[in-house]
Amino acid sequence: MRELLNGRIEPGKGPVFWIVGALLVIGMLFLPGLVGRYTLLNFNSFLLMVFLATGLALLWGFCGVLSLGQSAFFGIGGYAYGIVAINLADSPWASLAGVAGGIVAAVVFAALLGWLTFYGHLRGVYVSIVTLVVTLVIESFLNQTAGPQWKIGTAHLGGNNGLGRFSGAAENIPSLTIPTGGGNSLVISGSSPTFYYVLIGLIVFTYLLLRALVNSRFGVALAAVREDPDRAETLGYDIRLLQSMTFCIGAALAAMSGLLYVAWGNFITPSVFGVTANVLPVIWVAVAGRKSLAAAILGAVVLQWGAQQLAISGGEWALIVQGALLVLVVLLLPEGLLSLRQQYSRMRDVRSSSLKSQSRQG
Amino acid sequence: MLLSVEKLFKKFGGVVACDNVDWSIGSGETQCIIGPNGAGKSTFFQLLTGRHAADHGRIIFKGGDISRLPPFARANRGIAMKPQTLGVFPELTVEHNMRLTLQRHMSGAALRDAIEARLADLDLAHTLNRQARELSHGQRQWLGLGMAIGSNPDLLLLDEPTAGMSTAETQRTVDLIHRIGATGTAVLVVEHDMAFVRQLAVPTTVFHQGRIFASGTLSDIETNLDVQRLYLGKQGVAKLRN
Repeated sequence: MRELLNGRIEPGKGPVFWIVGALLVIGMLFLPGLVGRYTLLNFNSFLLMVFLATGLALLWGFCGVLSLGQSAFFGIGGYAYGIVAINLADSPWASLAGVAGGIVAAVVFAALLGWLTFYGHLRGVYVSIVTLVVTLVIESFLNQTAGPQWKIGTAHLGGNNGLGRFSGAAENIPSLTIPTGGGNSLVISGSSPTFYYVLIGLIVFTYLLLRALVNSRFGVALAAVREDPDRAETLGYDIRLLQSMTFCIGAALAAMSGLLYVAWGNFITPSVFGVTANVLPVIWVAVAGRKSLAAAILGAVVLQWGAQQLAISGGEWALIVQGALLVLVVLLLPEGLLSLRQQYSRMRDVRSSSLKSQSRQG
Repeated sequence: MLLSVEKLFKKFGGVVACDNVDWSIGSGETQCIIGPNGAGKSTFFQLLTGRHAADHGRIIFKGGDISRLPPFARANRGIAMKPQTLGVFPELTVEHNMRLTLQRHMSGAALRDAIEARLADLDLAHTLNRQARELSHGQRQWLGLGMAIGSNPDLLLLDEPTAGMSTAETQRTVDLIHRIGATGTAVLVVEHDMAFVRQLAVPTTVFHQGRIFASGTLSDIETNLDVQRLYLGKQGVAKLRN
C-alpha cells in the first residue's frame, strides 16, 4: 500500500511533498470562514473542474491519448444528472440517482466510443480529431432541441436555452440533495460551505485513488502504452483494452465534474460541449504538467482563478491570455511547468557531482 | 514441432512479400533466417509476431492456429520478441523496463527480487533508477534482450540482435543466444550480416523474393553456389574462385 501511494510513476514523493500537500488541504478547510458566499460560489466552480482535469491528465499524460472531447463526457454527465433528477423530482433520492445516472451514461458512451476508436486501430492525432468531432456533433444536435417534442420523460432538452427551459416554464435542475431520514433532506446549494467541503473530500479521495492506480502495475503498463504501444503489445499487454479502460475512467471523472457543475449552478446548456469548453482543460493540464495528477489539480484551480481575475478586469482578455499561455508552454516547455522542477533537480545533481569531483581532486 | 508455418502468404499492394512459405522450428532449437535487404525476412518476422496479418496460410504454435491472434495474445502464449529497434522504453527507468516483462508473471517481493537478479545478470544492476535512454547502445541492447527472455518464452524471435554492436559485444550475444537455447527456449534469429550468422553456426534458411531460397546447415548454405551468387553477384563468385 505504501508503495502504491508513494510510488514510482506519479512524481512528487517524500516527506516534504506529503507535508506541504497536507498543510495545503488543512489550510483550505478554513477558507469558508474567511471569505464571503460569492467568493465561495466562484471557488466551488473552480474546484469542481478538478475531476475533469485529472481525468485528462490520466488519459493524456499517463496513457498518451490526447482527447479533445472530454467535454462530451462532462456534458453527458451533466445532462444525464439533470434529466434523471428532473424526472424523479418528487423523490428525496432524485439527485443521488442523477449522480449515478450521469456517471453511468458517460461511461457507457465512452466504452462505445473507445471501442470504435481503439479497436478501430486509431491512434495519436486521429483520436483527438474523433473525440473533438463527436463533442461538436452533440453540441449541434442539442442546439436544435428547442421544440416541445424534444423531451425525455418530463425533462425538456430546451435547445440552446438549456435543459429544463421551455417556453417560459423554466424548471430548475435540483441541487445535490441527501436524504437524512424521517422525510428530511439536506440540500447542498452551490454556494454553501457544505458543497465546498464535499468537493475537498472528493478531490483528496480521487487524488489518492488515482495515485495508487498510476503507481500500480496498471500504471506501469499505461506508461509503456504511452511510450511505445507496439512494443507494449509484444510484451503481452492488450493495449486496446488498456486504452479503452483509461478512456472510461477519464470519462467517469469528466462526468463527475459535469454533474457537479449542474448541481452547482442548477442549469446546463449545449455550450458545455463547445470548442472553448474542450480546450480549457487541455490548457490547464498542458501548462501545469500533464504527467502529474497534483500538477493537473493545481493547474485547473489556479488557471481558472487567474482567468476570472482577467475577465473581471477586462472582457475577453482571459481567453486570449490562456491561448497564448498554451502556445508558449508547447513551444518552450513541452512537459509543462512541472518540468522546470525536474530540470532544476537535474542541474543540482550535476552541480553536486561536479563539486564532489572537485573536492576529490582538491 | 513447436511452431510450423504452412503456405504463409502476404502481399503489400502488388508486391508479394511472403510467398507460400513453409517453415518450422522445434522446441529448444536455434535457427537463423538470412537474406539480402527486401528478401521478405522482416515481413516473415512480423507475420510471426502478429504485427502483420497473413493473407492466407497458417501458423501453428504448440498445436493451435495463432495466425489470427493479435500480438499480445501470441506473446501470452509464449512467443517473445526483440525488435531491431532495441525494444526498450527510453523514457522509463531501467527498473520499469524490466518490471514490464516480469510483472505479468509475479508480484510483490518476488517481483522486486527477480528484477534485481535479472539486471545483475545483465551487468545493469547499478543502472536500476536511470532512464533507459541514458544507457549506452550496448547496454540498451542487453536490456532489450533481457526483457525479451524475462518471461521465459517457448520461442524467442530476434530481429538483427547485433545491429550496432562491437565485435566483443557480438561475440557475447552469440554466447548468450547459445545459452538461451540450452535452457530449452527455441530461438529464431533474423539477420543479414553473414559474419554473425557464421559465428552462430546453426541451421539456416535463406530468403529471397519472399520465398525460401535454400536451407540447411551453415556449411550447406556457405558452399551453395546459388547463395553465393545471391550475396556476392556472379562476378564476386568468379573472383572468389580465382
